[in-house]
Amino acid sequence: MNGHVKSMRFQQFMELTTTLLSLLLVMAVDSTRTAAASRNQQCGNSLQQTWKLTRLALKESVDLIRTYKAYQGEMSERFCKVPVSDVPDPNISGLEPSERIASIYTHLQAFLAHFKRVYEQQTDLQLPTSPLLTELTIARARGRSLAALVNSFYQRLFPNLPLPEPAGGATALPPPQNVFQQKVYGCVVLKTYKELLSNASRELRMLKSKVCRRRIQINTPIF
Amino acid sequence: MRTRSCTYLYEVTGCLSSPCRSARPLMESGGGAAMLLLVPLLVCALPAGGNKNYLLTAPDIQAVEIGTDFTASCMIIDTDEITADDLYWNVSQTTVPRERYTKVNQTTLNVTIHITGEKLEWLFCLCKKVSSNVILNEGRFCHGIMLQKGYRPMRPENVSCEALQAGQQISPTITCSWAAAGRQTKEVPTKYTLMLKVVSSETFNVSTEGTSASLTLNIFPNFMELEIWVVAHNKLGTIESERLRREAGFFVKTDPPANVIFISETSFPTTLLLNWSRPIKIQQIGLIYEIRFCSNYSHEWTYVPLSDMNKDIQSFRLQYLQPDTVYVCQVRCKNDKEGYGYWSEWSSNATERTPEDRPKSKPDLWKITSDGDNAIERRVQFICKDPVFSNGRITRFEMKVVDQKDRGKNGSWVWQSIPVNRSEAHGGAVILREIRLADKKSVKVFVTATNSVGKSDPAALFIPEKAHELGPVEDLKVWPRGGRLWLDWKPPGGAAATEYVVQWVAADQMDWQRENRSSRLVAIKGDLKKFVCYTVSVYPIYSGWTGKSASVQAFLEQSAPLEGPAVCLSGKPGRNEAELMWTQIPLSRRQGFITNYTISYTSGSQVHTVVVPPNVSSYTLTSLLGNTKYDVWISAATVGGSSKGFNHSFTTLKYAPGEIEFIVVGVSLGFLFVFVMTMLLCFYKKDAIKRNFWPQIPNPGESTIGTWSPECPLKTETPKENCLSGISVLDVDVCDGKSVFEEDKAGLPLKKDKYLSEEHSSGIGGSSCMSSPRQSVSDSDEGGDMADTTASTVQYSSVVASNGYKGQTPSSQPQQQAVFSRSESTQPLLDCEENPDVSVPEGSRQSQRFLRHPRSSSHANRDPADIDRLLETERREALEHLDFCPLEEDAEQTPPTDEQSAPRPASSYMPQLGGYRPQ
Repeated sequence: MNGHVKSMRFQQFMELTTTLLSLLLVMAVDSTRTAAASRNQQCGNSLQQTWKLTRLALKESVDLIRTYKAYQGEMSERFCKVPVSDVPDPNISGLEPSERIASIYTHLQAFLAHFKRVYEQQTDLQLPTSPLLTELTIARARGRSLAALVNSFYQRLFPNLPLPEPAGGATALPPPQNVFQQKVYGCVVLKTYKELLSNASRELRMLKSKVCRRRIQINTPIF
Repeated sequence: MRTRSCTYLYEVTGCLSSPCRSARPLMESGGGAAMLLLVPLLVCALPAGGNKNYLLTAPDIQAVEIGTDFTASCMIIDTDEITADDLYWNVSQTTVPRERYTKVNQTTLNVTIHITGEKLEWLFCLCKKVSSNVILNEGRFCHGIMLQKGYRPMRPENVSCEALQAGQQISPTITCSWAAAGRQTKEVPTKYTLMLKVVSSETFNVSTEGTSASLTLNIFPNFMELEIWVVAHNKLGTIESERLRREAGFFVKTDPPANVIFISETSFPTTLLLNWSRPIKIQQIGLIYEIRFCSNYSHEWTYVPLSDMNKDIQSFRLQYLQPDTVYVCQVRCKNDKEGYGYWSEWSSNATERTPEDRPKSKPDLWKITSDGDNAIERRVQFICKDPVFSNGRITRFEMKVVDQKDRGKNGSWVWQSIPVNRSEAHGGAVILREIRLADKKSVKVFVTATNSVGKSDPAALFIPEKAHELGPVEDLKVWPRGGRLWLDWKPPGGAAATEYVVQWVAADQMDWQRENRSSRLVAIKGDLKKFVCYTVSVYPIYSGWTGKSASVQAFLEQSAPLEGPAVCLSGKPGRNEAELMWTQIPLSRRQGFITNYTISYTSGSQVHTVVVPPNVSSYTLTSLLGNTKYDVWISAATVGGSSKGFNHSFTTLKYAPGEIEFIVVGVSLGFLFVFVMTMLLCFYKKDAIKRNFWPQIPNPGESTIGTWSPECPLKTETPKENCLSGISVLDVDVCDGKSVFEEDKAGLPLKKDKYLSEEHSSGIGGSSCMSSPRQSVSDSDEGGDMADTTASTVQYSSVVASNGYKGQTPSSQPQQQAVFSRSESTQPLLDCEENPDVSVPEGSRQSQRFLRHPRSSSHANRDPADIDRLLETERREALEHLDFCPLEEDAEQTPPTDEQSAPRPASSYMPQLGGYRPQ
């Protein structure tokens, strides 16, 4: 009788324990899901912001090129297609998302130096009140912001992977140029920068589906 | 650097004897700030190594917090002349109690004080005067700490920032504001620093003493994370607000959407398409929109739910609108990220009218019933309002009047089209038709409304026979409240009404509204005017059949009448009363229910008033003064005030009606009475009057003297009365004197003979038969008689001896009785001829009479001087005779008796009593 009672109590204890463990397991899974969803949301928000800023920078670069051409006098479109040395490549390189994001970042950094040179050249060529100077300032600041945002996104996605330094050390700038060369140089820089932003925008849109969703899959437990 | 030695403190003040005490007033007198500036300079100016202090206080603090305990230490340095027991602390000239001291060791004394108040104070460590050295160097044994009191800064709250749109960009200037918390003092002010960090990028800040600040960045950092916070700091500490970390779009407030337009589509009468433009490029910020709209007749906005709006749309179709209605719409926008950004201002209005549609409700049909031309019929006027959902402009009504007994004869059941000319519409209602309806007839009326698209369902109204009209509502009450007229009624006692029609009528306004069967307390929805009298009626409707109405008059708001009553007199005013009557103020100018009339009237300074009820239109003023001008006016009062009418003036009569007649009649009667009495008196006293006024003068022609005289046989008539003598007083006019003379002359021979022989002329007054002629003459001479008082009166008398002796002189027969016979003739007795021996100075009457006729021929030959003398003499005599007149009158009233007529020896004058006797 006593043994049966003990057995009964043990069974009841085991049932209770099992129930509690099940409840804890469900809570843990739910917590993991919630955390994963939160991280996924943060990833998506960060990428979304980066993409939106890239799009804004692209829009502003288009407007900037239009303004630039307008303030350079009679300038043929083909002059903007003349290859100029030391202007960074607008194409995004790398195979992995981390590499491609890093490529976007390094290219942006490279263009910031060229933007500074163009601004200095145009300061000599334009009146101080010229809208071109204002737009150049905005484009440069926007590029800096975009670089910072890409950096932040990269750090969020790959916290253990430091961003690589630009290849070849400091950005190489062209030697002193005459006015025509300055105009051509500026136009080429702006057009190349626009292409970079276009490529970056496309890249970020693709990354949205790759990076953030994949991480969700990684973090999702399988029962 | 707030701890200071007293040495330079008293150098500042120039007070060597009591440096610390002199410094204190300077601080307290408002010169604290100046002193605080001077102290560091003086410290620097001190010579190196000189003026060393033996006391040193600590800590060196910038400020102390109010409400906390502050502990300071005072240390003795470079001397063993004093110990910590010799030290004491002062705050605001008050020595801190010993129990607050803490002796650390022999050279250090601590004090703990509680910081209260916001006033700047000094805390001094001083030394007792334990030696002459201390006394002489008091300034070196003193050190102090300036207590700048304040509060710790509190955490700024409710930090909010905003970045406005500028052109096609978001402005790089971000303006933030926050709520300051806690208190601050003048000495310890709190400053704020607005911090803005662009995450992974730069940090910006700006300081201010206020609670708002603006930061201008290079560009607005779209899509960048911003961290914004406010740092509050003062001398007592620093504290940060909560950090606001949001994407930059969180702070954006854009311009409102531009180019907002409505598009109306005929095929969709209940919808309007709304289009607009983004205020900013989509690359800058994604937007969501909010739409609100209202009809032209409403001022309450209807908001389109945000859930019905997609992000970044630029058009929206508003549905379920009323056809043919003007709608106004506005749009605003904000960041499409939930909870981000601020709503922009509302856009400008977009206005459009929806297309027309078929009327979706029945027209509102009603009737106005009035008496017909004869007693057995009614005049019914049908009026109609557009359907509530007319969905377009009603161009015509179609009406059909169905007479149940007529059975459609004479085309009465045919629809009749009534075009609507809006200029003829009165108060929104259209008069359709007027019919004469016999009291014993009932009709059914049907009306439809038609617009450009279609026709409405028919509205019906049934007019029953007059005798069959069902009962009205009961206990109808109307009262104003909240700018509206409210009605309350009880349903009719008989059949249940299916609906009610509330009708209100003013002078130039008539309108109605329908209420359902359960309505008991309703407000009139029409636009009622203030100060207008409305007749509010409630008609019960029994399945389309109209019932009897109940009516009440009411004002939405009452005021003083626009004019006062016009008062006038009813008839003519009386002497003490006047009846006033006044006209009722026209209803359109009454502006309220008349509560009373106040009649005011005045005749000068004092105004009298009489208050009469409103149903009175005439009043009689009483107690007025006669022959007085009164101004009267009437004020009509409502609950909203009173108005005074024009003055009316009238003058009360001097005499009351009939008063004059009464006086005239009274006077006439009095006069008549007097006259009658006089006449009666005259009648009854005619003899006396006759004697007094018309004395009987004997007719000389009838004189009997002639008969007495023997020489005159012609006069043989015997005197009628014996022993009576009369005196005839004859007024002889001067003009008659001549004739008298002539008569006298005619009778002169006769008289001459008679008098010369037998008779003596006696003067007037000789009336006694017993008196002798001589005596009579003598008496006459001395006393005069009444006849003498009048110059024109000559009395003649003759004394005739009763025994009839001729030629016998009276003097020789004094006892012999003589008969006096008085002649009533105006012929004078020629005494002068009878008695030529009688001299004039003796006063012969005859001579006097003779001289009184200035026009006589004898006078004409006289000297004028003589005449004057004679006249003078005569005047004097007349004056002397006047004194005797009363006696003579008295004497005349007594008839002569025998005793009286007896001769008197003293020749006293006997008045001629009884005047004369008829002879």
